[in-house]
Amino acid sequence: MPVAVRLAVALFVVAAALAIARGPVAVGQTTLNGLVAAGYFSLGAVGLTLVFGALRIINFAHGDLLTLGAYLTLGMTSLGLPFWPAAVVAIAATAGVALVLDWIVWEPIRRQRANALQLFLVAIGLAMVIRYTIQFFAGSQPRSVGQDVLSTITVGPFHLGTLQALALVVGVVAASVVGLGLAFTRFGKQIRALADDMALAEVSGVDTRAMVRLVWLVVGGLAALAGILYAAAVGSVNPNFGFLILLSLFTAAVLGGIGNAYGALAGGLIVGLAQEWSTLFFNARWKPVVGFAILILVLLVMPRGIFGSGRARS
Amino acid sequence: MNWRRWLITAASTAALVGVLSSAAFAEEVTLTIGKLLELTGPLSENAPSQDKAISIAVDYANQAAQAAGVPIKATAISADVQGDPQAALSAARALVAKGATAFIGPSITPESIAIANGLTIQKKITVWPVGTSMRLRTIKDEGTIFRTVPPDSLQARALAAAVEDKLGGASGKLLSIAYRNEPYGEGLSKDLSAAWQAKGGKIQGPVVFDPTQATFDSEAQQIVDNNPDAYVVIDYPDTFAKLGAALVRTGKFDASKLVVPDALAFSTVPSNVPAQALEGARGTRGGSDTSTQNYKLFDELWRKAGGVEHFALDANSFDSTTLVILAAAAAKSADPAAIESKIRSVTQPGAPKYSPTNLGEALKAVWAGQPIDYVGVAGAFEFAANGDPTISRFDIFEYRDSKLDVIKQIDAAE
Repeated sequence: MPVAVRLAVALFVVAAALAIARGPVAVGQTTLNGLVAAGYFSLGAVGLTLVFGALRIINFAHGDLLTLGAYLTLGMTSLGLPFWPAAVVAIAATAGVALVLDWIVWEPIRRQRANALQLFLVAIGLAMVIRYTIQFFAGSQPRSVGQDVLSTITVGPFHLGTLQALALVVGVVAASVVGLGLAFTRFGKQIRALADDMALAEVSGVDTRAMVRLVWLVVGGLAALAGILYAAAVGSVNPNFGFLILLSLFTAAVLGGIGNAYGALAGGLIVGLAQEWSTLFFNARWKPVVGFAILILVLLVMPRGIFGSGRARS
Repeated sequence: MNWRRWLITAASTAALVGVLSSAAFAEEVTLTIGKLLELTGPLSENAPSQDKAISIAVDYANQAAQAAGVPIKATAISADVQGDPQAALSAARALVAKGATAFIGPSITPESIAIANGLTIQKKITVWPVGTSMRLRTIKDEGTIFRTVPPDSLQARALAAAVEDKLGGASGKLLSIAYRNEPYGEGLSKDLSAAWQAKGGKIQGPVVFDPTQATFDSEAQQIVDNNPDAYVVIDYPDTFAKLGAALVRTGKFDASKLVVPDALAFSTVPSNVPAQALEGARGTRGGSDTSTQNYKLFDELWRKAGGVEHFALDANSFDSTTLVILAAAAAKSADPAAIESKIRSVTQPGAPKYSPTNLGEALKAVWAGQPIDYVGVAGAFEFAANGDPTISRFDIFEYRDSKLDVIKQIDAAE
């Protein structure tokens, strides 16, 4: 049985057991809440996992690209653009920033064959540069996004924020599109070749430089999309929000099998649902602990994560 | 004539000592006060008003000292504590390196604890936190920490009174409590639970939430479960922007049942907090009797200075700063230990009372070595052995059309 099917069955069984123990309404509502969190985590983790899978970079600056996307959107709206067109411009701009960062930072470092620790430290440095640059221009005060965070879809006893639902749908769709793109398109196959062995891919005729740039464009755009949707759904942002959510994104990416887009989706789903379901039994203060406890447990049994059967997805 | 030589020598020595002493008396005391401000981080809404309150107090005291001929001059330098204990300690160290010998702030208790343990206890520097948590009193500060802000042991009583007032009684009434997982919420929640149960009420929760979470919908659901008679949410503005929206989305939340503490007291509800989450909600904050001449003077200074509107505990920051300057004048020194040794002599019960309206006279009196009892904008300060006030006045307010409206004032005492 495929991993995805086994995972879906396992989650369904757990949900059913919880419904018997705690009642269908409470479990249904926390499941919806968990799916919303899963949407945020999955969408954010896809870019993170893609960079690691293709370039072997633990991108600590990824959370700050989420923040950058949200703030660029606010910047565009202050110039008079409506929110969603502004979001499109911000996604393109953030993708551009990611590309420029590759050009001026990552590519020279790659040429010098920096090791994993050096790459990690550079990523931390970039994260701070992005965060404090945002803070310098936009200030440190929380900023309202100006979207209707109170609009709610109500079905029977269940409630779901409209923008939360949008974030959930977009998260699932984006993760699936990236996964399908990697599996079935020419670019996807070239990126996977790059991930396996950059030198071998190059001698095989793959334009590795172009593929690396494509990866950064996609990663920047996805990060901005995640940041914008998260900001729109919660209603406000501050320069630290991407950094604060980063650990959850890493958890989702590693849990699913780092380097695998479907893994990001699965990891996000497990972390989101487990954290919200835990509130049925424990005080909500334990939510962050639950996410990391599950990560440790899964890695004990499946050291490469749920979808990480090989060295990478390829 | 040996005795003559001795007489001349003695007279010359006495004259020299006299001259030197008077020179010493005339030497100006230059005091540098460190402002530990939340310029960034979860309480960044507080910083502008605290910055302004301290600056106003320094300017006003300097003018009063000059007019009274008391040779003391204060300056204030600031640093960002970032809402983070380690950053706060670094900020405090940087200010000490620049000459600060007393601190006003910070607003978050773990920051105060880090500063006390890492710096100020050893150097005998007095710290005047704006944070109200009782966790601060779990450390041995050796008499270096004073607060003019009401501690949460008193605010808990004020909150319980506010809820009781709202419900028309406490007996048998169910109060749902939720708090952000940190010392401020934990301590206040504990004291509030005890105060509410002592009145015969029942407690649901507390629901404790982690501020870094991506969603707060499950927490919101738990707060409104069982349709409690009232909810108290102890939170900071940045998290409440998200939790407030989640509460409204439950469809079961009634903002008029909500009571909030001082960290959620805004003159106008900020744009990032959904107005529906606070409309009709009540709250408590450290208050000042606005009918007094002291408050009117403070308000006039505030308006003349321009800039931000009044915010919670601004009067207390003004009073803390003034007390430090008075203590330095009493000590005739900016030395930290000398300032610390004189705090109680400028708030001495039974001594002649002085206030901001006659601050020049107060400075003259303390310079002359007399104890005084300073009555500030926020009221009189009778410090307990631990450095906290033993009685505090609280505003009970209500949000109407997104504006804070003080509906009554109460005194809470140990």
